Amino acid sequence: MQPTAWRAVLPAVVATSVLFGGALTGAIRTSVAPLPRQSADLDAWGRVLADPRFHEAAVFTVVLAVIATAVSVALALPIAALLRDRRGVQVLVTLPVLLPHLLVAVVVVLWLGPGGLVDRFIADGPQVVRAPSGLGIVLVYVLKEVPFLVLLLLAVWNDDVEQRVEMAATLGVGPLRALHRVVWPAVRAPLVLGATVVMAFVLGFLQVPAVVGPTDPVTVPVYAVEVTRVRGLAGQADAAVALLLASGFALLLAGLAAVVTRRLDGVRR
Amino acid sequence: MSIRGQRRARVTAVLLAVVTAGPLLVLPLRAAADVWRAPALLPQRFGTRGLDVVFSPGTNTLTAVTNSLVVAVATTLLALLLAWPAARWLATADTRHRAPVLVLLALPLLVPPLAIGAGLAEWFLRLGLTNSLPGLVLAHLVAVLPYVVVVLAPGFGPRVRTAEEAAATLGASRWQVLRLVSFPMLAPSLAVATLLGGLVSWSQYGSSLGVGRGVPMLPLVLEPFVGRDPQVAATLAMVFLAPALLALLATVRRTSR
Repeated sequence: MQPTAWRAVLPAVVATSVLFGGALTGAIRTSVAPLPRQSADLDAWGRVLADPRFHEAAVFTVVLAVIATAVSVALALPIAALLRDRRGVQVLVTLPVLLPHLLVAVVVVLWLGPGGLVDRFIADGPQVVRAPSGLGIVLVYVLKEVPFLVLLLLAVWNDDVEQRVEMAATLGVGPLRALHRVVWPAVRAPLVLGATVVMAFVLGFLQVPAVVGPTDPVTVPVYAVEVTRVRGLAGQADAAVALLLASGFALLLAGLAAVVTRRLDGVRR
Repeated sequence: MSIRGQRRARVTAVLLAVVTAGPLLVLPLRAAADVWRAPALLPQRFGTRGLDVVFSPGTNTLTAVTNSLVVAVATTLLALLLAWPAARWLATADTRHRAPVLVLLALPLLVPPLAIGAGLAEWFLRLGLTNSLPGLVLAHLVAVLPYVVVVLAPGFGPRVRTAEEAAATLGASRWQVLRLVSFPMLAPSLAVATLLGGLVSWSQYGSSLGVGRGVPMLPLVLEPFVGRDPQVAATLAMVFLAPALLALLATVRRTSR
């Protein structure tokens, strides 16, 4: 069988390099010399790095990302185990994968926001939408990302893995031990990759915190929109700095995940 | 598992489905409630105010839906054209360059969409592409292409390649191989890639805001209503939901066959 010539991958690589590379260089350029200014300086970097509101936003965003990812991963594994043989239910449970994040946020607002359905049943219930703890943001991401991780797990939790579980059971291995020794090695690498994507979503998406997040503290993308509105031209540079820092953190995280996945794959082999 | 355990697992699975898909039912109820003052459990008056506002000229819904559709279709087609050969290469190449190429193509997934939109806006402003549909297509392409490549690549398995080679050996032209062998065999992967690509573009918020703030796009039209007018937000959300719902129906039809 002849492998496809390497030239075949060029159009996609060129398109990604030009557009994605262009976006990053454009953001870097804006961070030092927003249009129409011609001279470059690092004032925006100094301003953002010294801004206590940015520090708060960065810590808040990372904490939310860690919590939302950890909860999603913790729920995805048992749900995937439960749904393995139930095709019809799988379709319904994984429905949120097809839904835009903004739509899930709207549904959460209509249920749990002020004047929402739950508010009418429980008058003094806990605040979820716009809660300073970021509970609403975590809830939207958990609702949206657990099905994504379940789908990912179901793709690798195939009949081969299940046969090995059955074989382990006939050898007297208990279900928990089988989960740890047979299923976990098969699913952990894709789970780490999926968790990285989820974390990158939480770090970078604007629409969810804009709709259900608190106004103080804010997440980094909301901070970027805020400074653009308030600080004018300088705000564009500040927003670019904030978004570049968020991008850098997400890429660093992805690098770490790649190393972990490689190690896990190595262990499996 | 005992029969009792199986029944408990079945009930839990159904409950999970209700918890996941059930909350969407609030959308038609809220969209049809013209008057629903708290703490009443049911609306005081049903009506079509939501539809009236959504389809009034000031809301720009029809323009936004048209723009979002045009951009989603154009982006997905462009992504499929670029992704097809790349996915084929990724599935068959046996070189050490495969992993770095895959990482490069997937990188845009990790960066905040607003960062991509704002960064591209800097260039698009010089090229006259800001606030234009072609500019939005290019911005959405950054987010859509990785999904399409990742979904298409596993489709190009050895079975497809062997069938293509057999057809070529029997004298089929390249176009005939593509039309009679590759397309039919890759139809399921192609359908999923098209669907996913279209939905990713349809729901783009950050990159649309960065590049096309002045072009009405459905997510940008919906967002301001969420805190301001729940009835209009619910009505717009139902319009926003339509493609995902159609996709779900198609999947259910396919799995029930």
